[in-house]
Amino acid sequence: MWTLIFRGLATGSIYSLTAMGIVLVLSTTNVMNFAQGDMGMFLAFIAFALLMRHVSYPIAIIAVVLIGLLLGALLERGLMSKVRKTTSHLGMLIVTLALTMILEGLAGYFFGTTPLLFPPLVQGAPLQFLGIILDRQDLVSLAIAGVVVLILFIVLYRTKIGIASRSLAEDEYAARLLGIPIKNIYIFIWAASFGLAGLAGIMVAPKLSLEPSFMIVIQLKAFIAAVLGGMNSVVGAVVGGLLLGVLENFVAYYIPQIKDSFSLILVVAVLLVLPEGIFGKRAARRA
Amino acid sequence: MKKFTPILLLVLALLIPVIFRQKPSLVYYLNLSMIYAISAQGLNLLMGIGGQISLGHAAFMAIGGYTSAVLVMVLHVPFIVALIAGVGLSCLFGLIIGFPALRLKGFYLAIATLAMGTVVTDIIKRIAITGGDYGLRNIPAPRLFGFTFGSSLSQFYLILAGLLLAIVVTRNFIRSKSGIALQAMRDSETGAQAVGINTSNYKLLAFILASAFAGLAGVLYGHSVSYLNTTNFGLDLSINLLAITIIGGMGTVWGVVLGSFLWVFVRNLMGSGLEMLTGVLFGVILLLVVLFLPRGLSEIGFRIAGRFKGKNESS
Repeated sequence: MWTLIFRGLATGSIYSLTAMGIVLVLSTTNVMNFAQGDMGMFLAFIAFALLMRHVSYPIAIIAVVLIGLLLGALLERGLMSKVRKTTSHLGMLIVTLALTMILEGLAGYFFGTTPLLFPPLVQGAPLQFLGIILDRQDLVSLAIAGVVVLILFIVLYRTKIGIASRSLAEDEYAARLLGIPIKNIYIFIWAASFGLAGLAGIMVAPKLSLEPSFMIVIQLKAFIAAVLGGMNSVVGAVVGGLLLGVLENFVAYYIPQIKDSFSLILVVAVLLVLPEGIFGKRAARRA
Repeated sequence: MKKFTPILLLVLALLIPVIFRQKPSLVYYLNLSMIYAISAQGLNLLMGIGGQISLGHAAFMAIGGYTSAVLVMVLHVPFIVALIAGVGLSCLFGLIIGFPALRLKGFYLAIATLAMGTVVTDIIKRIAITGGDYGLRNIPAPRLFGFTFGSSLSQFYLILAGLLLAIVVTRNFIRSKSGIALQAMRDSETGAQAVGINTSNYKLLAFILASAFAGLAGVLYGHSVSYLNTTNFGLDLSINLLAITIIGGMGTVWGVVLGSFLWVFVRNLMGSGLEMLTGVLFGVILLLVVLFLPRGLSEIGFRIAGRFKGKNESS
């Protein structure tokens, strides 16, 4: 029972990380980013290449997060800032779909489509604690996710740029009036979201095998987590991700026949019955 | 002149396979392009005319393809009945899925159709009769009125007929009352409601028509490729169909055809080593089209045509 919950939380933390990236971008820049998962995939491939060149694990993780931040900033400056002027929200959604095609194509070209085995973060037998079986890999990923969520919340709620981005999410026009440097915040948001993508990619890769489409499932689950949490609330994304992870694990254990379809049926149900999610604001539903 | 252009094109289309009959692989690619064009034509109706997005379009192809293949292989139903059943079931699923999904807007619709598309292929994979992970092999060639469309050359004409049907239906739909209502809704939903258009009905109609086209494309795909696997109808095909529609030109009948030919031929002519780069190439083209050519590549065609027209009028 507790083992199920723990495993669910570990998987859920990965959903949360990806969902946070999606929600950050959606709530501030109004772009539904379908490339979040594939960015993680691409960064995981870079991490793999680094590890194969005998770079140590912590350095590889840091390097990948930095590359993610850089790519996010570059994407905003080079592409999104220009797209924003010319096209609608749906146009921007399609731009992110184009990004997924490019990223998957590049990854497939450079690394091949045969699944690769990503070395696990930590090795060793699972720990036992009060009768709960704790997988070391899960423990580490939970810990990393916890630290990252903490850092992100400190940044969002205690620093100038974080508060500015939240104000932008609340009311873009008012934020502009107050002289908030919107351009810089857009860069910050995209960078942060792709940094999160890199972390999620590294944490998922050892569990699944590394191939150009391995993050699609996680991306889908992250969307569901974000919808559960309310689409424009970062807290909601975290809670939604963890909740989805736990629920999914229970369903997989007790009713294994529907384990793959469960989350998808859940999202449709949530969208129809409670479109604002758990933490979303009623009026803030965007068309 | 304008009156004869379609006839000229049709004659050209009828002659193409005869000219290239020494190269069956080329005819096979032509067939594939036309199948994707039929499916993308549905997406064109939904997106270009109706302004609704769908990320689960490929699932309807799977529904049509599997229904027809299973009916013919297991129940030995004549092809024509299987074809109608495949398209019909696709429509039915379009109704079942579209009814709740179309209450959602924009991003939410994208997520919902994405989820539903995944569920559908997942369920198909789980039904034992569909061959599961191994897929369905040796699906018999289409057989109509005692004639078997065994070669890709003969299938060319069958698929061409399907494509023409799709084009004619799309053309007429765009000009019909429903099509005009949908376009009004695309441009301003509130405005459309204000003049008394029942927007949800028309959205549903567009969604069902789109599913029907996808179903038809799926049936033709299954019986001409003679192999079906759910992995071929996943999210990437849905995204590619979306790209075909947008690159070719949303809201234009011929742009979609152009887009599918481009996609199939570039992908297959790139060679096996560079196949992955097609995704990159199409991603970049898609980006450029969204940025600079809102009506897709067919806009270039329009501009050239416009120039010619200008010349004719002046002379």
